[in-house]
Amino acid sequence: MNYRNFCLLWLLFGSLDARVQASSNDQLFESQIAPILQARCISCHNDQQNAGDLSLQHSWQLEDSGSLLTPGNAETSRLLEAIELHDGEAQMPKDAAPLSITQIELIREWINAGASWEPEFHLSAPLSTSFDWWSFKQITRPSVPTVDDMRVSNPVDAFVLSKLRENQLDFSFAADRRSLIRRLYFDLLGSPPTYDEVAKFVSDEDPQAYERLVDRLLASEHYGERWARHWLDVVKYADTCGYDKDKLRNNAWPYRDYIIRSFNDDKPFVRFVQEQVAGDALFPGQADGILGLGFIAAGPWDFIGHVEVPETKLDGLVARNLDRDDMVTNCINTFCSLTIQCARCHDHKFDPFTQRDYYELQAIFAAVDRAERSYDLDPLLVEEKFRLQASVKRCREGLKAIDESITAAGGEELATLRREAEAARKEIDFALSPEFGYHSGLSETQDNLKWVEVQLPHEVELSSIILHPCYDDFAGIRDGFGFPLRYQVTVSGDFIENQSSDWRIAFDRTQTDVPSPGIQAIEIPYSGPPVRRIRVTATKLAPRKDDFNFALAELSIKCRGQDFVWPKGTHVSALDSIDAPVRWARNNLIDGLWPKASDPDSYKNWIVLSRKLESFLRELESQDHSTHKESLQKELASAEEALKQLPEGKMVYAAATHFLPQGNFKPTSGIPRQINLLMRGEVNRPGDVVDPGVLSLGEQVFEKLTSDASDSDRRSMLAKWLTQADHPLLWRSIANRLWQYHFGAGIVSTPNDFGRMGDTPTHPELLDWLACELRDAGGSLKHIHRLIVTSWTYRQSSASHADYLRTDGENRYLWRMNRRRLEAEEIRDSMLQVANLLNNKMGGPGFPLFELEKTEHSPHFEYYKYDPNNPDSHRRSIYRFVVRSQPNPWMMTLDCADSSQSTPRRSETITPLHALTMFNNRFNLMIANRLASYVSEQRTDLNAQIEYSVQLTLQRMPTRDEQVQLLAHAEKYGLEDVCRVLINLSEFVYLD
Amino acid sequence: MLQRREFLSKLNGSIAGLALATMENSASDASTSGVLEQLHFAPKARQVIQLFMAGAASHIDLWDYKPWLERHHGEPSDFGEPIEAFQNGLGPWMKSPFRFLPFGQSGKMLSEVVAPLGACVDDIAFVHNMVGKTGVHSQATYLQATGFERPGFPGVGAWVSYALGSINEDLPTFIVLPDHRGFASNGPKNWGAAFLPASTQGTTVFPQRSNPIDDLEPGDGFDNNEAQQDSLRLLHNLNLTHASSRPDDSRLLARVRAYELAASMQLAAPDVFDLSDEPQYILDMYGLSRPGVGYPVEINAAEEAEYFGRKCLIARRLIERGVRFVQIWSGNDNSFPRRNWDSHENIVRDHEPLARGMAIATSALIQDLKQRGLLENTIVHWTTEFGRLPSSQSGVGRDHNPFVFTNWLCGGGVNGGLTYGESDHWGYKPLDRSRPTQVYDIHATILHLLGIDHTRLTVLHDGIDRRLTDVHGRVLNELIA
Repeated sequence: MNYRNFCLLWLLFGSLDARVQASSNDQLFESQIAPILQARCISCHNDQQNAGDLSLQHSWQLEDSGSLLTPGNAETSRLLEAIELHDGEAQMPKDAAPLSITQIELIREWINAGASWEPEFHLSAPLSTSFDWWSFKQITRPSVPTVDDMRVSNPVDAFVLSKLRENQLDFSFAADRRSLIRRLYFDLLGSPPTYDEVAKFVSDEDPQAYERLVDRLLASEHYGERWARHWLDVVKYADTCGYDKDKLRNNAWPYRDYIIRSFNDDKPFVRFVQEQVAGDALFPGQADGILGLGFIAAGPWDFIGHVEVPETKLDGLVARNLDRDDMVTNCINTFCSLTIQCARCHDHKFDPFTQRDYYELQAIFAAVDRAERSYDLDPLLVEEKFRLQASVKRCREGLKAIDESITAAGGEELATLRREAEAARKEIDFALSPEFGYHSGLSETQDNLKWVEVQLPHEVELSSIILHPCYDDFAGIRDGFGFPLRYQVTVSGDFIENQSSDWRIAFDRTQTDVPSPGIQAIEIPYSGPPVRRIRVTATKLAPRKDDFNFALAELSIKCRGQDFVWPKGTHVSALDSIDAPVRWARNNLIDGLWPKASDPDSYKNWIVLSRKLESFLRELESQDHSTHKESLQKELASAEEALKQLPEGKMVYAAATHFLPQGNFKPTSGIPRQINLLMRGEVNRPGDVVDPGVLSLGEQVFEKLTSDASDSDRRSMLAKWLTQADHPLLWRSIANRLWQYHFGAGIVSTPNDFGRMGDTPTHPELLDWLACELRDAGGSLKHIHRLIVTSWTYRQSSASHADYLRTDGENRYLWRMNRRRLEAEEIRDSMLQVANLLNNKMGGPGFPLFELEKTEHSPHFEYYKYDPNNPDSHRRSIYRFVVRSQPNPWMMTLDCADSSQSTPRRSETITPLHALTMFNNRFNLMIANRLASYVSEQRTDLNAQIEYSVQLTLQRMPTRDEQVQLLAHAEKYGLEDVCRVLINLSEFVYLD
Repeated sequence: MLQRREFLSKLNGSIAGLALATMENSASDASTSGVLEQLHFAPKARQVIQLFMAGAASHIDLWDYKPWLERHHGEPSDFGEPIEAFQNGLGPWMKSPFRFLPFGQSGKMLSEVVAPLGACVDDIAFVHNMVGKTGVHSQATYLQATGFERPGFPGVGAWVSYALGSINEDLPTFIVLPDHRGFASNGPKNWGAAFLPASTQGTTVFPQRSNPIDDLEPGDGFDNNEAQQDSLRLLHNLNLTHASSRPDDSRLLARVRAYELAASMQLAAPDVFDLSDEPQYILDMYGLSRPGVGYPVEINAAEEAEYFGRKCLIARRLIERGVRFVQIWSGNDNSFPRRNWDSHENIVRDHEPLARGMAIATSALIQDLKQRGLLENTIVHWTTEFGRLPSSQSGVGRDHNPFVFTNWLCGGGVNGGLTYGESDHWGYKPLDRSRPTQVYDIHATILHLLGIDHTRLTVLHDGIDRRLTDVHGRVLNELIA
């Protein structure tokens, strides 16, 4: 039975059933029709969205809709017309599968029976169209609760303590000073204080000691390094592209450095966001406006899908669609904490966003790709550069077109001649020697004079001079390499030192260009007085790749018609020479070796044919052609020259509309691609063309741009929308992230999802208060840090409390500080620091923790070949070169972020592999070794060495018991083994 | 749990009691137990070996016999619809350069280059109507390895480890044996844990390296055994003291435990890679009879058999020791000279040696598992990222075919000797285009055999309930014995 028959049968029996059950038309509506409308129509036709000015939530809306429906007559009802199938497709539901035949027939039946709908019966807008959700609500600054308690040091504490009291909980006691300073150092700088710093703070009696410490650390440049790591986790930063053929991004790091600098400068958050979304448009001429765009390009990129597959193929479309998806996702996850990516294939199931909303966001990124662009050049210069590059391209295409038209004009005759010449060339068997000949110095211009001279020990009577041209594959030039276009041969007799000789012209070709002789010798008859010196002067040099030269394989002479052997004492001099033996040496000019064809006739045959070809081509070239060609060549040369004069500029891997093409990966030049809504997210099922737009959040409705909006306008619109003072998501999102990185858990525990599938805030008022405070303090992140870390909430102990543990085991209300394990980078940097190895150099290209092999295809990142003793790698981990496809195994084992996905919060796993890494890895063992040798340099006595090792690693004195155990171990196995144990201690990797 | 109790009983009094209480209540901290406290169904299998042919192995030159191509060899290709090839592989129809012969009771036609698998063919269920999504290696490899065509998702072995945990705590739950020449497309991202706990990630093993598992053994003067034991003991004491003053924090005890497990792994793992206790006939079976022999630079079957055979034999030893999921790769990335299945230029040149080597070793693995009674509990799954076109490229090669390819399953409750889902007469698309098989179905079936309902193994990540099978997947009941 085919599908259609099945449906018809079902319809017969199924609908009969329905009719029997439905005693009235009202009941038919409620039991059969309403569910269809609810499932298939309401998502667009509701009171909020009101698509096509139609809502179907209430019966009166049907009556008001005019011709939508004629009770009793389905055939004249627009509703039925809209849902009926024509060639398997229906107008409605838009961009979705049509209703089933059964459903259509039910609706027909209902209309024919009078279309009654009990007015009290309302259809509800589905959950997902409702903005009635905490995170979409406007932020208003909540009043700070009044809590009368000595410990409340700022509003943060007031909010937290009042919540604790609501839940019959209370703050813990204050953390001891050593724990506190360690906590603060790691949280703000990512590395431990020194033992001395701890000791000083512990005994500091100044009541403002802690506040001073906070100020000092917030001013440290390591603050930016630590907090940049959090940001880069969220935005998926890496130094390679990912996917197959994981190509290096050698200029991604300027974005990383930009983030570090922005945090250190406490850049206003609005500015920070705007630079990353549309900095080039909003802040033209400012480096940060371009550096920030590294954000859009931070995520993975598929080399094969872009470079090897054209945009016209399905695979190419898929790659580009996924690429834009990453841009949209990165932007909305990071700044709004919404999972908009869920709406790529269907309307968002839980949050009020449609597929159309999603593709309108894609349209904002329709003109950009990920590529290198310069960030430090005057935009006018950049524009000039692109203009010149375009001109080079146009000239090359023009020249190619001329060639093609000549080829077309030459027809079969030209083709035959070319084939013959090519075949003749193949017949030649070259006999080449490794000594090529004489080669002048290189010249940037063609009309520089160059000469080479042979000087005999005595005068000879000669009858001819023979010039042998060179052969060199360089730049594909081959025969006739370096042979001048214009030249002269001059001779002179005996001379007196330092006096000008009496030069006579033996041969002159300085008036017009001569065709290349190939490797055929040029024999110049001579009948003048005896000669001692023979000089060849090039007056118009031969072109090489980007410069000019003069080269000659051999100069020989004949005396009375006989070959003459250069006698001992013959000397070669030249104006200049590159002297690159074996191939190029002055004396190669008289070594009796020059390139030959084994069969000279085959060579002659080819020369004849190629000359014939050349002259035929000249014939074909019309006057128009040659004028045009000349002007194109001129323009090309001047554009290329002008390009050379322009400064290179520093590059950053960022969002770009202009860049040098690579294979099928070509810039849009700022012209946005057409974006279609894709049914089920499939590129071969395009729906409507969509225009760029931002998300409307409930009441706030934004005008869309039209399809002719420029790239700058599109991204500017997004940047301005994101950074509105009353944006409900942006300020809450960042306030929550800051809180989370200080306490280990956010006020909302799902930092990238404030939608209905995410968690709700434990302290909604506190979150809103922080959001307002951040916004109203000019977007200063440091202001929020200061508020948080100076609060009692932050400064309390992490000690447990049996009763509270039972009622709030997860510590959601913060009745104590959370103990945390250090992150991978903190562990690595701490190890380097305590072993006195840490190099605090900031910025620049990432240092590798691997050996790089086979870069020409798919780079291999061989971590096991890395030498941990390499001092270049003893820098803070924020500066390591991050590989996307093959993440660093040491880092991954310690739960480092996976740069293929946004990591708003690190996990903390404890596995045997973690233990193996910590205990056995070559890096860790190197640290143990170097720590031991550093300690041995500083302290002589073993007891003192043990004590010092503990001071360095744990920033405290060892207990008596520890001292005894460690000493015994050191006596037996040496200090290295003690150090190995110390860096494996839980106390080393956990913060109380 | 028994092992854990034994371990804890070794610890001194009060701490041990404490440890027991906290550790048993903190499943999330335990490194090796699975998340499923109770399986969804009675399992038919408990372990998996997956064989992944990187570069896209040709179904029509190995498993999926197409006599039609023999009759139309050399005729201009016409697919009856517009088709986009990845490169320019729409040359004339090309029959397989290899002969096909019937094997087993089922009379299944197999290519001569995989003839050794004829001995196991009645245990194998073939799926000839697999379809992919793109012809791009990277995305396609992700799709088959993680169920998503993008990076950022856990490998299938990570999901299984996450669900079921370990059988033997001395070894990782999920072990990967990459091609000895290097990683395939996407490298370790194919077996990463992504948003699952790090303990579920595939641990790579390079048997030919001096340290087959990263950091298994220390070097650099720290390899004194006694010193190591004493260091571990000292560390244990100090960490235990630290943990005991923070009794509410189970992570600290879990960390102490992790070092214990690492130490036992250090003892157990080298034994797995030491094949000296294998009898000669077993070594011969796996193609390992010529130790130390040199090979020509050209790709050749004997060398492929030895390398793949070593991985297969180690896989068997891992399965014997209770490793949950073993993944073996054949072929590295797309560099030249070609050492993977991406035979654009020449099917015979690459496919013949790779297939012969793979078939010798795989046949040995299946028969060896069977004779030890392990096959009934172990699923063997052969896969690749997509197939190759029936038309030719550059005369004797084949271009990508994401529209249809072959998988096969064996052991672990799989109904052997059958062919499920056919491709069309050319091997271009599924015979029934409306009912193809997708990777989701294969994954759903593997999970089902392991006792897991693929729709119920979920993890909430970034607001989305993630599943190995996304929102798809159908258990292929026809394949289940």
